Amino acid sequence: MTAVSQASARPLDQGENRRRPYGLLLVAAPVLLVAWLVIWPIVSAVGRTLFQRSDEGAIEFTLDTYLFFFSDRYSLDNLTVTLWTTGMCALLLFVICLPIALYLRFSAGRLPAYVQSLAIFPMFVPSIILSYAFIRVLGPNGMVDILLNAVGLPKIRTPYLTPWGPVIGLVWDNIPLTVLILLSGLGNVSNQAIEAARDVGARWGQVLWHIILPRIGNSILVALSFSVLGIFSSFTLPYVLGPAAPEMMGPFMQRTFRDVNDPQMAITQAVITFGFCIVFGLFYVRSVARNQGK
Amino acid sequence: MARLDIANVSKLFGSTKAVDDFSITVEDGELVCLLGPSGSGKSTLLRMIGGFEKPTYGSMTIDGEEVIHLPPEKRPTGMVFQSHALWSHMNVFKNIAFGLKLRRLPKAEIERRVEAVLELVGLSGYGQRLTHQLSGGQQQRVALARSLVLEPKILLLDEPFASLDQHLRERLREEVRDIQQRLKITTLFVTHAQDEALSVADRIVVLRDGRTEQIARPAEVYREPATPFVAGFIGQMNLVSGVVADGRFGHSAFNVPAAVADGPATLAVRPEALAIAPASGAGMAHVHRVTDYGTHAMIDVELPDGERLKSMMPTADQWTPMQKVDLVPGAFALYRDNGVIYRADAALALAKPARKTRSTVHA
Ligand SMILES: Nc1ncnc2c1ncn2[C@@H]1O[C@H](COP(=O)(O)OP(=O)(O)OP(=O)(O)O)[C@@H](O)[C@H]1O
Ligand SMILES: [Mg+2]
Repeated sequence: MTAVSQASARPLDQGENRRRPYGLLLVAAPVLLVAWLVIWPIVSAVGRTLFQRSDEGAIEFTLDTYLFFFSDRYSLDNLTVTLWTTGMCALLLFVICLPIALYLRFSAGRLPAYVQSLAIFPMFVPSIILSYAFIRVLGPNGMVDILLNAVGLPKIRTPYLTPWGPVIGLVWDNIPLTVLILLSGLGNVSNQAIEAARDVGARWGQVLWHIILPRIGNSILVALSFSVLGIFSSFTLPYVLGPAAPEMMGPFMQRTFRDVNDPQMAITQAVITFGFCIVFGLFYVRSVARNQGK
Repeated sequence: MARLDIANVSKLFGSTKAVDDFSITVEDGELVCLLGPSGSGKSTLLRMIGGFEKPTYGSMTIDGEEVIHLPPEKRPTGMVFQSHALWSHMNVFKNIAFGLKLRRLPKAEIERRVEAVLELVGLSGYGQRLTHQLSGGQQQRVALARSLVLEPKILLLDEPFASLDQHLRERLREEVRDIQQRLKITTLFVTHAQDEALSVADRIVVLRDGRTEQIARPAEVYREPATPFVAGFIGQMNLVSGVVADGRFGHSAFNVPAAVADGPATLAVRPEALAIAPASGAGMAHVHRVTDYGTHAMIDVELPDGERLKSMMPTADQWTPMQKVDLVPGAFALYRDNGVIYRADAALALAKPARKTRSTVHA
């Protein structure tokens, strides 16, 4: 009996073994592509900043460029403004997108459909166009200025070329993705769960705090991680809308590379930016894993 | 401990009338079942009582106090939903304690009350379980406990056991009935299963397309259905259309005395009140199928015009398909214009002339 059942079990196992190489082949192409386009440049960049050719021509280990970055006042200011912009954008995105997503989830009819299209609209606008639209509206002598002037009000202090310029642009740019992710999270909160909470006496604020937010924690995390990662290393919007100094890491790298013509330093800045993103990424992965374990 | 008064309540969704001019008074401690087919407005009615929908017209009072303008969180009602209403990010204890915490009760008091209600629904010791670690039946008990712990004046149950299997459903509805009687809590129970309604209700409301067909005690709904719809919806019923002429209801196959005005009418007779006998002459009908249930047999007979009726007989022995038979209606009712016009109980000198007969004329 035992022999028979073992014998009949064996071919199944073999079948599974035989299938495995196909699976590997299927993922091989994207894995190789990722290795070539992402992993290799990272390794090479880290290598090129840590092992540099000395004056005598020998390759030696050095932390010079990093030491310079972290002791240079200007570089640190740029890093700070990047962190500030990212944090501010994340905060504003959360504050703006959560109400929009809640509204879209819990109301019915025509109006929410229009609001949704409006919220998704920035996704279809390239950032460069967005930047110039911003300048035409909020910039000096832009539409707002003209309107204010027409009714005899004083000029506004335009956010253009201040750190708030990129914040406004980046927030607008990231609203669609954030709203969509939050909305998908809210889709998992059933109407009955909410009605049950109201039934036992929870007011809207309490429903939001005790029932809805705990259930969409993961979505909030995903949404904010996505936008934080994108914003931290963004280029176009800070480049066009931001101040000349301090500037965000994206434009800073570009300028160091092109205008200052110091590729070594530019790569160092890139590695440091990447390092921060990795930290955000790890934090995100850890929280998601922990939430799923629950 | 409460009395619910609903007066002339209607609810329109756009142009659909989900509930149409509904009125009832539910007495203190009474369990009323709302029974009706899908889409008859049962949930809508319950949700209006719970405050989740606003009536288009009408008024609702609980212990004399108008509640129509109160949101759900301010109403003294507790609702148990069909499914998916437990909060999966909280364990059983927290699910039940949530309402008490919102009321800022002291911690010890909360613990005491949650333990007590867990015991009441037979789940002592399950407090630390997560909701997905419970079976469907246990989940619904937690949902029930979550409402009961707040001691609502009115308990609302919207098909709470519909997703459970037959056995569990029977057991839970008995438990709910027990708890309801022990706590003497005024309860509305929505179901589309007539056996559920018949077994637990003090009174049954039969709804159809948002309108009340009948409000009565279970036995009365079963024995004296007020409309042909109720007759057909509760239990099994044979409905035969025919015409009354000269004091007799006539149909191609049979013909019974009925002292009502001439005109078209529908005869309703339960299978247990429709006996069959081997044909004395040509026979009114023939046996189509015989189903033996052990305790009784159900004989499907076919009339010459192709219509089929069910007859319940003590045994299956005597009957074979295609056999010619005569029909012997016992208790029956006649309906005209959606109302009862005539009721006869027992056989009218047709089969058992010795038995005392009584007939009542309504309307
Ligand atoms: N939010 C709504 N918007 C529009 N129509 C609705 C809404 N809720 C219910 N209806 C309609 O009202 C009628 C009654 O619905 P209701 O849910 O009360 O029926 P029900 O008796 O509970 O049925 P079921 O047994 O299937 O649960 C239906 O025709 C339904 O389509
Ligand atoms: Mg329903």
